[in-house]
Order: sequence, then C-alpha cells, then structure tokens
Amino acid sequence: MARFDELIHQPVRLRIMAALHALDDPEARLDFRTLRDLLGVTDGNLAAHLRKLEDAGYIRVEKTFVGRKPRTYIALTHAGRAAFEAHVQALQEILRTTPGDGVE
Amino acid sequence: MTQAPISPEEARQALALIETTTRQMRRALAHGGAPYFLMIWGTVWLVGFAATHVLGPESPAVGGMWLVLDAIGALASFAVGAYLGRRAPSPRGMRLGLYWLVWTVYAALILYFARPRTGDQLALLISLFAMMGYVSTGLLCRSRFLVGLGLAVTGLIVLGYVAWPAWFNLWMAVWGGGSLLTAGLYMRWAWS
Repeated sequence: MARFDELIHQPVRLRIMAALHALDDPEARLDFRTLRDLLGVTDGNLAAHLRKLEDAGYIRVEKTFVGRKPRTYIALTHAGRAAFEAHVQALQEILRTTPGDGVE
Repeated sequence: MTQAPISPEEARQALALIETTTRQMRRALAHGGAPYFLMIWGTVWLVGFAATHVLGPESPAVGGMWLVLDAIGALASFAVGAYLGRRAPSPRGMRLGLYWLVWTVYAALILYFARPRTGDQLALLISLFAMMGYVSTGLLCRSRFLVGLGLAVTGLIVLGYVAWPAWFNLWMAVWGGGSLLTAGLYMRWAWS
C-alpha cells in the first residue's frame, strides 16, 4: 500500500534505501565503505543518516571483524523494505493522480 | 489514501534518484560478478581450445596446459567472488559459491570414472557440465540471460562435436570461448 514516508524521503536516506533495496538477495548486507563511496558522503554524514534509519527499524547495522579489521555491514529489515516500497508507490501515485502527468 | 506533501516534479526527481542509485549499486557490485566470471572462463576456453587445436588434442602438452588454465580460471573466479563477497555478503552468494564447489567435485569424479576415450570427448563432457552449471545458476538466480546463453552454447557445442569433429577444438575456441567472452563483455557494457 502506498505511504509517503518523510524519514525516507530525505535525499541521502532515499539513496541509502534504494541502494540496499537494489541488492538481489533480500538477506544480503552491504559494506559501510561501499555504501559511502557509492553515495559520495563522509563517514560522519552517512553514520548520522544510518542511525535515523536504524532507530526507525528500517535497517540493521552489524559490526564485525574480518581478520583484525573492523567492518560494518548494513542490511534492510523487512519493515524497511516494506516502507521503501510503499514510499515508491506513493511517489508513483503522486505522478499518476496529477492531471496531464503520468509515470514514465 | 496517500497525502501529497510534495509536488509531482519533486516526486519525479525522487524516482529518478532511486533509479540512478539502483543502477549505480548494481554496477558497483557487477551484478554478482557474472560478467567477470564469463570473461574469465571465455578467455580460458578461447586460449585453451585454440592451443589444443594447434598442438593436437592427443599432444602430451595439452593436459598440463588445461590444468594450468583451469587453475588460473578457478583462482581468478575465487578472487572475484571473495572481493564482491566482502562488499556485499549474502547467503545466496555463499550458496552459489558452494554450489560451484560441489559441482566441480562431482564433475571431476564423474569424469574420472567415466573415462572418456579421447581428448575431444573429455572436452565435450567438461563443456557440457560447465553449461549445465550456467543454466542451473541462471535458473536459481532467475537470470534469463544466463539460461539463454547456457542453452545456446550447449547447442553450439553439440553441433560442433557432431557435425565437424575434426574442427571441434577450433569450433569450441571460437563459439564456446568466444560466446562466453562476448557475453561477459556485453553484460559489462550493457548493464553499466
């Protein structure tokens, strides 16, 4: 069901959710550095947006070690996936219900 | 009912941002490495079968050459898989890695006990096993491209072996290796 989500709609958070949603495997996790490089943001900026999404229950942040190196992985939760898909539907609906406009 | 707190233009921009990010993400992860695996094994087949044609399938050098080429291909594939697995680890990726490991062990066991009579028969069986792996991976990953490619190359392999046995290795270099390499390059170009 379509539902516009103010939290997701912020551009960096929208891109975070889109990137995580683009992973083929719903159970896949994404490396923090890969996400940071993709979005072109700083560590601090990304961490702040991730915290907001995590607080909303949309993502799961896992800290682990690969060898001796600490690594952070981010995964979309079921609630996050549903919220993102509902948000995309809401965006499409806004275009659809606008006279003279349509989804391309 | 959805409220519309933004204008249609803003909605359009947001959808465009989502689409761009989705494309960038899939490119960053190289679609699970599929184009690289195809390019690696396409090159191995191209070089290996062309060299087998030149040297002759029964030449003593051919067995050792294939061992070296296959080892290079396996190491390169492992390196690509490990690199992508670090960036976006997923249970499906792990399952696919295990699937190919099990596939390799079973293929080696079957070939060992089947004892093909000629080098061409061995090449035929290995190639068919490889295509079975591509088609089943395509089915598991819901990739029509991979299923179609596997079936098409299977058809070419059988056609070459039956219709032009004397030219089988050259045929495999061009249509087997060439097809995989071209498909990998195409995927890399078209999906980027």
